[in-house]
Amino acid sequence: MNPDYFSIDAILSENQKIQCSFRQKIPDMGHLGGGSERDARQSQKVQLPVWLAYTILYSYWADFNIPTPFNQKVRNTLRAEACSLRLSNLVGAGGTWYGFGKIVMDLMDDEQATELSQVLTSAFRFRLLEIIDQAHHFATLTSASGGGHTTNDVAQLFREGLDVTEREVFALAQESSRRTKRWYEEGDSSGY
Amino acid sequence: MSLPNTLRTSITPPELELIATQQLIEIIPLVSMERTVFISGVYGPLRPPNKAKVPLWIAVNLKMKRKCHIIAPNWLTIEYLQNQLALETSNPAFSELPFRYMEISKVLLDVASDDLEQPDKLRSLLKDFREARQAKSREGLKQLDHSELSLPNLSTMEINEIRPYFVEAMSILSRLALPPPRSDV
Repeated sequence: MNPDYFSIDAILSENQKIQCSFRQKIPDMGHLGGGSERDARQSQKVQLPVWLAYTILYSYWADFNIPTPFNQKVRNTLRAEACSLRLSNLVGAGGTWYGFGKIVMDLMDDEQATELSQVLTSAFRFRLLEIIDQAHHFATLTSASGGGHTTNDVAQLFREGLDVTEREVFALAQESSRRTKRWYEEGDSSGY
Repeated sequence: MSLPNTLRTSITPPELELIATQQLIEIIPLVSMERTVFISGVYGPLRPPNKAKVPLWIAVNLKMKRKCHIIAPNWLTIEYLQNQLALETSNPAFSELPFRYMEISKVLLDVASDDLEQPDKLRSLLKDFREARQAKSREGLKQLDHSELSLPNLSTMEINEIRPYFVEAMSILSRLALPPPRSDV
């Protein structure tokens, strides 16, 4: 999510592929996307990483299609039951769904961008509550009881489906809650 | 920065406790002491049957040596807390409690529980407060948006607990929100 130049997450989000279709024939550009032909044909479709697609899209050589992690099917699922969606599966391991979404949002025109922004925001807000609840739950487990913890299927699936951004929030909440709890429960041994 | 991530986001509970021990509290000393100059101020003189006001850390120190009785602050009584708890549970807003109530009550219950009336009852009341208020800050999370958040009467320890992830969640939301239309276009 961090737009910083040196942010690893930002680099990984820019590495996601986006489908572009060329508007016209571009000579000597057939190698883009691994093609073996010399020229890029008109309306040829190639999967390009976002960092490479910027130049092509901004020069109006090509248009892009909305990537699958943000297509209508995903949006419908989010609207129906945001917590059941496994975001990490949509963008691959180590990917950030929100980070990629933000990049795609910036490439879109205003109307589409507004819509996508709403999708991302409502998904995050809806899932946040569940993230924090689970983080608090795991903070209360001590290391002794943590090992024999029986996994609750739905909660387990949700946790595995967190994308990198959400995972960071989870870790922050868990650590903070654990720290406060430790202070709260340490008895008279507080150093007096 | 070389600080671990957890220390970057907020200060630790023991540090908050240290800050809270600067607050003044009334004691009945059992030893006499002349006026004494400390960096934070001048305290004393302590004349045994008379009450005196000293910082909490001095009170704790004397108490550990059995050289004073600590007088409980007026909010740390069963009656007051029960009334406040009734307000807390019947009202959607946070009820008014001293800003550092968690730190001070914990220190007093740890060190001077024999100076308080029914310390066990106090403990369980304070625990009820904590649970009721945690449930409320969870409700606050539902209304989180990218621009602002107002949770009046939240105490230091509670703010400190929710700060790391509230801040992170708000900054994510602000990146996901559309940038305001530029005025120069």
